Amino acid sequence: MSVPALSLKDVSIKRADVPVVHGVSLDVEPASVTVLLGANGAGKTTLMDGIAGLARTGGGTVELDGHRVDKLPTYRRAQAGLAYVEQARTVFRTLTVEQNLLVSQTGDRGPEAAYRLFPELDKRRTLQAGSLSGGEQQMLVLGRALVSGPQTVLIDEMSAGLAPVVVRRLMRAVTDLVELGIAVLLIEQFAHLALEIGSRAYVLRKGRVAFEGACADLRDDSARLHAAYFGTAQPHGGPGPADRPRPDAAESERP
Amino acid sequence: MVNSVIAGLTSGGVYALLGLCVVLTYRLVAVVNFTMAAVGAMGAFVMVSLTDAGVSAWLALPVGVAAGAALSAALGAVLVRWFGGHGQNTKAAVSVALYVALMAVGLRLFGSTTTGAHSFPRPFDAPVFSAGSVVVPQSALVSLAFAVLITAGVGLVLHRTRVGLRLQALSEQPSTAQVVGIAAPRLALVVWVVIGAVTTLVILLVAPRLGGDFSTLGKLINTALAVAMLGAFRSLPLTLAGGLVLGCLEGLSAAVEAVQQYQGVVPFLVIVVLLWWRSRHEVWDTAHSR
Ligand SMILES: Nc1ncnc2c1ncn2[C@@H]1O[C@H](COP(=O)(O)OP(=O)(O)OP(=O)(O)O)[C@@H](O)[C@H]1O
Ligand SMILES: [Mg+2]
Repeated sequence: MSVPALSLKDVSIKRADVPVVHGVSLDVEPASVTVLLGANGAGKTTLMDGIAGLARTGGGTVELDGHRVDKLPTYRRAQAGLAYVEQARTVFRTLTVEQNLLVSQTGDRGPEAAYRLFPELDKRRTLQAGSLSGGEQQMLVLGRALVSGPQTVLIDEMSAGLAPVVVRRLMRAVTDLVELGIAVLLIEQFAHLALEIGSRAYVLRKGRVAFEGACADLRDDSARLHAAYFGTAQPHGGPGPADRPRPDAAESERP
Repeated sequence: MVNSVIAGLTSGGVYALLGLCVVLTYRLVAVVNFTMAAVGAMGAFVMVSLTDAGVSAWLALPVGVAAGAALSAALGAVLVRWFGGHGQNTKAAVSVALYVALMAVGLRLFGSTTTGAHSFPRPFDAPVFSAGSVVVPQSALVSLAFAVLITAGVGLVLHRTRVGLRLQALSEQPSTAQVVGIAAPRLALVVWVVIGAVTTLVILLVAPRLGGDFSTLGKLINTALAVAMLGAFRSLPLTLAGGLVLGCLEGLSAAVEAVQQYQGVVPFLVIVVLLWWRSRHEVWDTAHSR
């Protein structure tokens, strides 16, 4: 088997001195989507912050393409081929769309690559990124990640608060990234959408890997998915609609 | 009267330049830099010490500027390395502490107000032209031109070059900037080096007029901060205008006998009024984020 694009071994991470992620090991293969699921507060974002260097990892190793990066500062990991689409839709608001792309460009892959991925952005080149709609901003963040010439892209809940049609558009773009040979680690609240395009899946529960296997196994077996999320065998009535990341949340339930 | 205003323009250009440096340090590396004028004064005194010792000014100048730049870089490195993760308040407090230390060291090395006045080179004292009793010295034009050049140049670099865009990104969202691969520590160091070099030049420009002692020059930071405040620590053109207005006011109040003895106070009264006028509709907390 080839070297994984991203490989974690026994990674633990604290947030404000509280242990949040405990001994997580996980591999992301090149040119494929690996899905990372888990309930609210399971530690998914914290794990990605640790991979990107925004949170300090204590113990364990993080390897990009076979090279250890866990002691490197964030920008060196980015330069080593890691891109990170953060949870908060982090465009540089005062810069234009094109400038956002130029800022992250490192190699020959320029803004045009992002416009090919999202022709919608082409017309918006000279607009300030802060004036874009939420969906467009998310496209820009994805495009910016692509322009940095990554081997691995981490994507954290890019669909939050977006209309179903936009979410599907973004999901298609993720598969486009995979066709370019990029490895993707995907956190997604609409679990079924992620499982459709993913090959491997990990479910985090309270900072530990509670399930690891093929996406197909979870896709067709919602009881198993539920068990992995919450550690109970059967789906039940549940604590109510406020319990956001239901593993089987359907996009049709959104306005 | 007109002569006083013109003399004020010389100071005005210098105030504008110092204010610009404060604003840029704040915007680009998120530090309210109290050490700036003292650092520039250090560089300037390195230069005069050399010329006093007989070294030619053309050699002493680059050495002095390099010294200012290096000192600024060293202070920047301290702030980046040990206080990088801290908030703006902490960094400002650290820079105040460094300022106090620098002033003490500077006074020790270069003497106090009474003992330490050095004669700085005055390359720009000759009048450019005079019409009747009105004399325009070169220094007025030089400081004006320098101020306008820096304002326009910085604007151009920030908006038209890759480095400038990265600096803006870093200023807007430091952590995301690093996520997209921007080498934040190195860029910050470049900013500190440039600020140190420019400040040294500015201090050299103003030193002959102010009598050339370390303490007076280091304390120019007060005026620089006031000017930066006029630009709301953000706008370069407003900072430029603020510096010029402040300089002219100072010149004017020197000429009008009635207010002469309050010369030092007048500009600050005007600043307070301007700030009040500008912020009359603002909610302080939300309007003054970086
Ligand atoms: N900056 C922080 N300081 C302290 N604790 C934090 C911080 N960020 C997250 N936590 C805590 O760490 C735990 C994991 O949070 P994290 O954001 O990683 O979860 P998540 O799986 O991404 O959840 P979500 O689905 O809501 O995004 C939570 O209990 C949270 O309260
Ligand atoms: Mg999260």
